[in-house]
Amino acid sequence: MVEQKFVGFKCKACGRVMNPKHDRCLTCKGTEFEEVELPKVGKLITYTKLYALPVGIEMPPLTLGIADFGGVRVLGQLTTDDPKIGMLLKPVWGKLRKLNDKDIYGFKFEPL
Amino acid sequence: MRDVAIIGAGMTKFGRAPGDLMDLLAEASLRAIKHANAEKEDFDAVYVSNMMAGETSHQTAVASSLADRIALVPAAADRIENGPASGGSAIKNAFMAVASGCYDLVLVTGGEKMTTADTDIITDLVATMTHPTAEYIHGVTLPAMGAMLTRLYMERYGLTERHLAMVAVKNHANALKNPYAHIQRACTMEGAMSSGIIADPLRLYYVCPISDGAASLVLCPLEKAKKFTDKPVRIAGFGQATDVQALQEREDPIVLKSVKIAAERAFRMAGVTADDIDVAELHDAFEILEIAESEDIGFFEKGKGHLAVEKGITALDGELPINPSGGLKARGHPVGATGVAQAVELVWQLRGEAGERQVKDPKRALSCNFGGFGNNTVIHIFERGW
Repeated sequence: MVEQKFVGFKCKACGRVMNPKHDRCLTCKGTEFEEVELPKVGKLITYTKLYALPVGIEMPPLTLGIADFGGVRVLGQLTTDDPKIGMLLKPVWGKLRKLNDKDIYGFKFEPL
Repeated sequence: MRDVAIIGAGMTKFGRAPGDLMDLLAEASLRAIKHANAEKEDFDAVYVSNMMAGETSHQTAVASSLADRIALVPAAADRIENGPASGGSAIKNAFMAVASGCYDLVLVTGGEKMTTADTDIITDLVATMTHPTAEYIHGVTLPAMGAMLTRLYMERYGLTERHLAMVAVKNHANALKNPYAHIQRACTMEGAMSSGIIADPLRLYYVCPISDGAASLVLCPLEKAKKFTDKPVRIAGFGQATDVQALQEREDPIVLKSVKIAAERAFRMAGVTADDIDVAELHDAFEILEIAESEDIGFFEKGKGHLAVEKGITALDGELPINPSGGLKARGHPVGATGVAQAVELVWQLRGEAGERQVKDPKRALSCNFGGFGNNTVIHIFERGW
């Protein structure tokens, strides 16, 4: 499997790094971006343990959180059921859910 | 620009309705038309707010269908979809059409039929409003967003679960006085705080129910309103604003910037401030939102909204009653109907027609209809037009 990179999109005009990708920079409306790797360690700023699940996710609870990776906040599933605000996390590639009978993959966050 | 008045308002009972979406839309529309004394009038247009008819009722182009169903033909008809703020958007479109001079008599009807689908299907449909790659694919639901915002509030401002329960208890108590409300059941602090967890720290009682229902308004130029009613309600202003879609990408995720900007725009247009508002209907799909919106609109300082709830300021007999109808929590939240239902409640409140839940002598009112998870908010300011 090709190694998946945990990236942001850096505006070539003003330098702002965004995740997700936008077609125009939210700061300067620039349209040229380059992929840049985000820091490998993020800090958890908020989370929830979700018991009422949407279709395609089988086992409650699903733990979701927002972590700050060097000033870029990213949302993802947490691999722990015991999250703590401020804990350090690293992105790991894995299966997120099923959508229309297809397995969807992406980055989850694992405690360091 | 012409002054615009609401001359009639009506709604169906919210809850689990026996009829289908078209039955609901027709019932609310005819009630509003009757309330406006406009039964024999020819309407220029109808705006129908609805979020998910295609998915839950397997029916599209519902505005044209309503024009046929209640004999508005050949009136213009449009369906307006802006997620849970569809109702606010429909009122805004109708307002602009009348204010501009394009139309003289306009119907706005919002409705949703949700209880026919399973809860996990509805949860998923609503979740499709979130960012497709940055939120949705990870399993995010709207309650999950509400929960993450709540936790930010707990960390930064010392909000506790008790504050969420206080909002729920207040809104349930108000709904008990509202015959149109979905949930007609008193709720106690203990009951709320021992209900099942939906998305930690949110329990069942801090989350709105899934409801069917419809609500409707009739609009015309204020100068022509006297022909229909002695108590026209003037739309003094509106404000609408978007925000970045993903919660985590916002400047400060704890600030509902679309609410802030929409409120500023509405206040500027109406030429009033937050202090001039006597009663408000806010979008408490999650109880944290009533608190956060009350701050970002400018009623209370940021981080102090929960203290206002604690002091009873937002109670029915408080200085600024919020959600006299019971709010989304207890009146219910048929998504496409909600923004219109907020306006219906405020029209009744301003006219002194709100029965047991009547707020004392309000002159000016504000509604906040919050779309997506705060990435598209519509605010209206209403005042007595007599």
